[in-house]
Amino acid sequence: MTRKKVKLAYISNDSARKATFKKRKKGLMKKVSELSTLCDVDACAIIYSPYDTQPEVFPSPLGAQRVLAKFKKMPEMEQSKKMVNQESFLRQRIMKVDEQLKKQRKDNREKEMTRVMFQRLTGNGGLQGLSMMDLRDVGWLIDQNLREIHRRIETLKREAQKQVMATPRTGNNSSTEGANVEAMVDQRPTGFEVNVETMQRQQWFMEDLMNPQEHMGFGGDEMNILQFGDHGHNAALWSSPFFP
Amino acid sequence: MAKIPKKNNLQVTFSKRRSGIFKKASELCTLCGVEIAIVVFSPAKKPFSFGHPEVESIINRFLSPRSSSSASLTSLMANSGLNNQRVLVQELNVELTQLLNQLETEKKREGELEKMREAGRSQRWWENPIDKMGLEEVELLKSSMEELKKNVTTQAYQLMKVYSFGYGHAGLF
Repeated sequence: MTRKKVKLAYISNDSARKATFKKRKKGLMKKVSELSTLCDVDACAIIYSPYDTQPEVFPSPLGAQRVLAKFKKMPEMEQSKKMVNQESFLRQRIMKVDEQLKKQRKDNREKEMTRVMFQRLTGNGGLQGLSMMDLRDVGWLIDQNLREIHRRIETLKREAQKQVMATPRTGNNSSTEGANVEAMVDQRPTGFEVNVETMQRQQWFMEDLMNPQEHMGFGGDEMNILQFGDHGHNAALWSSPFFP
Repeated sequence: MAKIPKKNNLQVTFSKRRSGIFKKASELCTLCGVEIAIVVFSPAKKPFSFGHPEVESIINRFLSPRSSSSASLTSLMANSGLNNQRVLVQELNVELTQLLNQLETEKKREGELEKMREAGRSQRWWENPIDKMGLEEVELLKSSMEELKKNVTTQAYQLMKVYSFGYGHAGLF
């Protein structure tokens, strides 16, 4: 619409000022009209200028009088609650933008620190270049992640337990006494030695896990190895409709 | 997610447009040195008003044709403070513009960080959401995280020791 950004200051050139006034006044009235129609609300606008003896009014002098009468009928507090002038309006906007800015900076900081965390996780770049603040934030993020990891482990173990319930017992007698879900998890038949110091040293392991689908969750097959103590009794318990 | 009810839409539209109108009115006042009052009622029947120099004075001026004496008095009162107001408003405008620019910069930064995050996720499995991981992966990640935590804590203590010894002791960046 505009070719260049207009500086927000009083236009000293008389003709330019008059031209701007005509254009913007028209646009402003149009916007007020749209608001009134679109939202089905009462609205009025009054503009006094040195170019007219009479003020420019929306919707009409009579219509504006009606809206203003409605306005004046409201309690003082209601009237002034959302009343602004230039100064207060600008202060409000500044406050809002300031809050948005703070939040955006906080979010960016978190993303940034997460990136740093992942870099340091695989030993890329030392911790020397980090400030106290950085270290604290990364530490916090690690804690958050560890909490999520803990939750995930719990969930997976619960699911594994459910799987076991659902699977009919087999005649397999290779159980150890009192086998439980935890033990089953450790006895994964996949057979690698999971010895982890840092991620970097386990690159070969990484490649294996590049297709996590095969290793995710617990399939029904592995469950069959497990044996609970007293099958007959437990089976009846697990199959109860009230078992959560 | 449920469909946004129309009532909510209306309120949002009203809020945005009202704010935009007030902004345009404020600009018009600054650019052309005119006096404006705008009064609107929200869909919830709440009144919102903008006025320069003040809503009240414009409304009164409009509703009751002024006698000459009251006219000169009010304009006298208005003009004395007007210049100070103008300067203040200009300063506020400058401040607002600066903040808006800073916000834009931060948003751009967010875009960059987001891109890096996506790239990271496609290249390294451990940067993906934990709640989609299998047990081996998550155990692996756990060990590495715990290791890193140890190192971070150690480094933090080191730094604190350095600070307490004063500057210029060890290589403080």
